[in-house]
Amino acid sequence: MKFYLCIDDTDNLDSIGTGTIAEQIQEKIINRGYGPCSLVSRHQLFIHEDIPYTSHNSSMCFCGEAPDGTLNTIIELATNHLDTVAAVGSDPGLCVLAYDDRCHYDELMEFGIQAKKKILTKDDAMACARDHQIHLSEHGGTGQGIIGALAGVGLRLFGCDGEIKGALKNAVINQNYTVADLKNLPEVEQVLDLTSKEPLADTTLIRLGNRSKTVLYHHQYVLFVRRDENQQYTSLPKAEIRQLGEHFYV
Amino acid sequence: MSDQHQLPMEAWEQAQTLAINCPEFKPDVEEEWLAEESVSCYNCRYRRLVGGGIRCMKSLFNF
Repeated sequence: MKFYLCIDDTDNLDSIGTGTIAEQIQEKIINRGYGPCSLVSRHQLFIHEDIPYTSHNSSMCFCGEAPDGTLNTIIELATNHLDTVAAVGSDPGLCVLAYDDRCHYDELMEFGIQAKKKILTKDDAMACARDHQIHLSEHGGTGQGIIGALAGVGLRLFGCDGEIKGALKNAVINQNYTVADLKNLPEVEQVLDLTSKEPLADTTLIRLGNRSKTVLYHHQYVLFVRRDENQQYTSLPKAEIRQLGEHFYV
Repeated sequence: MSDQHQLPMEAWEQAQTLAINCPEFKPDVEEEWLAEESVSCYNCRYRRLVGGGIRCMKSLFNF
């Protein structure tokens, strides 16, 4: 069974981040003997005054493999962990989808895309989850986090959204790497030219800039790089990645 | 709230200077850092992303 799990709104100003909690849940799932699991992706949702996010309105998602019939165990593991560690004053939501390749998830993906552009409600989320038989649960506070949690699963399924948590954290800044070297890292599956969106040869040298990230692009962990006037390829800083906008990805 | 309490995106130098001198600066989880400089309002736990920039949740932007 392939599953997708996403959480949102688990933090407050002084707590650990939602991404860390997602990794802790993943660790518990792996310790139970399930897996493998993917890296965690961070999905930026709509920034608006009327949305009660803590500071950046993003949700954290991963997918994994587990034996058939273990969905309820996964939900229970995640629920117990969320109920234990979610921060005071937060509004956590949990979404878990058991993927069925006979189903169409267009509406769910569209929910995720819309959650990046406009304000959606808990009722919208519950209706979408019900239609697709997806587990969606509130874990305290207003439970508003179910909106982002469902959106995160939709966006991960969509496959062209989200930064990879922890990506390139251990790479040396301002050092040159070949594309082949970078593709040996678990968080880099492909290195693409920003302009052409074409893959670069394994022997191409890339200078790794500060605060760069891989992103989900057509279901792969992709590092986008740009060629400068000296024909040197450099990775994009995170601030620039976040400004690429949704039209870049599709 | 008026724009005087908001810092636009990419005011990197101003955000660094403000944060260095700010008694309330606290780094957010690294995953959420935006600025290259570690100490910057863009990397602070007490900033909130708003349309077109960030706002200080400690109300310390008074330009």
